[in-house]
Amino acid sequence: MSTPEHVRLDVSAGPPAAGDGAVQAPSPAAAAVRGTVPRRPRPWRRWLEIVLLAGPGTAVFVTFVILPVVMAAYYGFFRWSGYGPPTEFVGLRNYQLILTDGAFLEALGHNAFILVSSLVLQGPVAIAIALLLNRRMRGRSLIRVLIFVPYVLSEVIVAIGFSLMLHTTGAVNDVLERVGLGGLRQDWLADPDVAIWTLVLILVWKYIGFAVILMLAGLQGVPDEVREAAAIDGASYWKTQWYITLPLLGPTVRIWAFLSIIGSLQVFDLVYVIWGQYVANTAGTSTMATYMVANGRISGAYGYGSAVAVVIFLISLAVALVYQRFLLRRDTEGALTGGAA
Amino acid sequence: MTGSNRRRAYTAAACALAGALALSACSGGSTPEGTTLDEGEPYTLTVWTNYTTGPGQDWFEGLAADFMAEHENITVEAQHVQNEELDGKLQTAMNSGDAPDVFLQRGGGKMKDMAAAGQLLDLTGTAVDAPEMREKLGDASYEALSIDGKLLAAPQLIQPGGIWYSKDLFDEAGITELPETVEDLEAAIGKLQDAGITPIALGGKDAWPAAHWYYFFALRECSTETLEATNESLDFSAECYERAAQDVADLTALEPFNEGFLTTTAQQGASSSAGLLANHKAAMELMGAWQPGVVMNLTPDQKPLPDLGWFPFPQVASGEGDAAAVMGGQGGFSCSASAPKELCGEFLAFMNSEENQEGFYEAFGTIPLHDDAKDVVTHEYDEQMLDALAGASYVSDFLDTNYGQQVGTALNQAVVELLTGSIDSAGFVSAVSDAAARG
Repeated sequence: MSTPEHVRLDVSAGPPAAGDGAVQAPSPAAAAVRGTVPRRPRPWRRWLEIVLLAGPGTAVFVTFVILPVVMAAYYGFFRWSGYGPPTEFVGLRNYQLILTDGAFLEALGHNAFILVSSLVLQGPVAIAIALLLNRRMRGRSLIRVLIFVPYVLSEVIVAIGFSLMLHTTGAVNDVLERVGLGGLRQDWLADPDVAIWTLVLILVWKYIGFAVILMLAGLQGVPDEVREAAAIDGASYWKTQWYITLPLLGPTVRIWAFLSIIGSLQVFDLVYVIWGQYVANTAGTSTMATYMVANGRISGAYGYGSAVAVVIFLISLAVALVYQRFLLRRDTEGALTGGAA
Repeated sequence: MTGSNRRRAYTAAACALAGALALSACSGGSTPEGTTLDEGEPYTLTVWTNYTTGPGQDWFEGLAADFMAEHENITVEAQHVQNEELDGKLQTAMNSGDAPDVFLQRGGGKMKDMAAAGQLLDLTGTAVDAPEMREKLGDASYEALSIDGKLLAAPQLIQPGGIWYSKDLFDEAGITELPETVEDLEAAIGKLQDAGITPIALGGKDAWPAAHWYYFFALRECSTETLEATNESLDFSAECYERAAQDVADLTALEPFNEGFLTTTAQQGASSSAGLLANHKAAMELMGAWQPGVVMNLTPDQKPLPDLGWFPFPQVASGEGDAAAVMGGQGGFSCSASAPKELCGEFLAFMNSEENQEGFYEAFGTIPLHDDAKDVVTHEYDEQMLDALAGASYVSDFLDTNYGQQVGTALNQAVVELLTGSIDSAGFVSAVSDAAARG
């Protein structure tokens, strides 16, 4: 990958002067005086450099990311139980089955629900907490740490903890009973009307810390001068936040939302550990990823599972591309190196 | 690894690679012949088991040492793999041409898939197929592990399912006679509920324990002919399958299961269904013959549950099936396509000798298959199970094993939905039929 300097070098260095590179190496001081144009390496040396630096990374990426994606796409055209090479070519049948399977569409719906509710619930709360924590107050560092703790915990640990607490005979219902709120007892995990909300709230609890840290970092980028100017103009605290801070926090919010959306499409660990291999569908918390494992690996239908993987990949890719194209464009403008200078 | 063995590995790896590149020339279909060893040629026989407990490993290492003492040129090298990891690991090894010579075989649909891919050795005519072995281990066990007359695994065990119960809790509820019919069972459930005892523990999160209720109702509702025909056709249109689903729904309507059964695991910790039975928090659980060992690990002092009892699944009034039919997990060991055939047969025959089957019972506490080893059985419930097997008109494997992974998994999931009432018995049958059509 070329840095901006490289790009500028290409354009400004002019036609290569054969032979002069190695002989007339300018001193650092001279280079500094003349600007930032050091000697231009020969083409083969540039290629060697590119291969040496980018080669290992590219090889790993191709082997472990690109190739598996291509293989999954290939397996997706077969009915294959995973023993021996796939032989039974079925064309697009797997894809047709996936897109007409009610269980997959339900799982897709759950993903969409998680996506929207994560944005709606986490965003405002995270901004509010970040604004609070951005002011001087006692115990600020402690609260910052505490809010970040759930994000640091492994998903499996969080899932096991919550599944024990929220079980029908678990701690949460027991506490409700004992403080006289037995009427609020719920089948938190098994009741299909409640379970998806339980999942969303656990996700909020787990990921709010990450959102807060991002927002806090974003707030550091809001210049004090602007706020002071607003104060001098007589704007109240709330008006300052609304008209000054929030608009300037825009890029951070958009990046956070992007990460949250991608995360929502990939939810797997929490569901798989809390609801196990089989009951997520019944409890109404299945996601595309748990559907893939249940109907691919556990069912021994590796062709079908691969096709599901491809569908998830395409959905995620489409969402990511659309988001980047329409929402992230103004943030990344000028920050990325285009091919053309 | 010997030279020829390494060559085979390369060939297989090349096949796997070629297959991956859209060629299918190396695909299976025919049963491989295995290899033969020259007299005295040194060989390392690799064996994969799921023996992760101490006594189990000791038993295997002991018999491996005995076998090596008899065959000086042979080294037996065992890998004991965690039960849930075994299938995936095996699959990867097979696809990369690196399968162990001998490995645990669960039978059913999975064995069919392996055989179809040409991964299994036909053990017909080897030492383990000898008439005296067949007689002692039982022809039916051999049948269960054969496809088209080819013996694809040597039988080792059978673990019949039935209802495990706490004698103390049955006494407490005033149940004097063990249930023989479903009406009896329902009466017992009523008495237990009146006494404030949870009648049945159920690990619904793992799905298969819940599905066991359906399997056994189907075993009682459907005739042997229907069950066997469905194993082949995966056609669930026979009316008895819907009746069995209705039986499950009717039972569920009595609310006999532990609170929160849908998110209860089967075997992990005191709050699992086996844990509830082990701690006298529930009176019954429908399980396979491995239950005493699982319960033992979950009692407060990790000792066997003293009042644990067993009775066969009760008969249903409308049933076409025989009350004496038995369902249970059957299993054994297979040899992979490239293993030395004669040696493999000899090893498996040795593994299932009278002496080693007795050791197997002591190490694992599950009833032995070998006729002459049956006199070492001590527990009352083990004797009951042996009696049930001896008098069985028909022995079926668990239905999810018979139907293969895809339909089996769909079946288990559909039972869970049936239990929660999100589908009815007709919806259940159509859900399973859909999966069969897809599979």
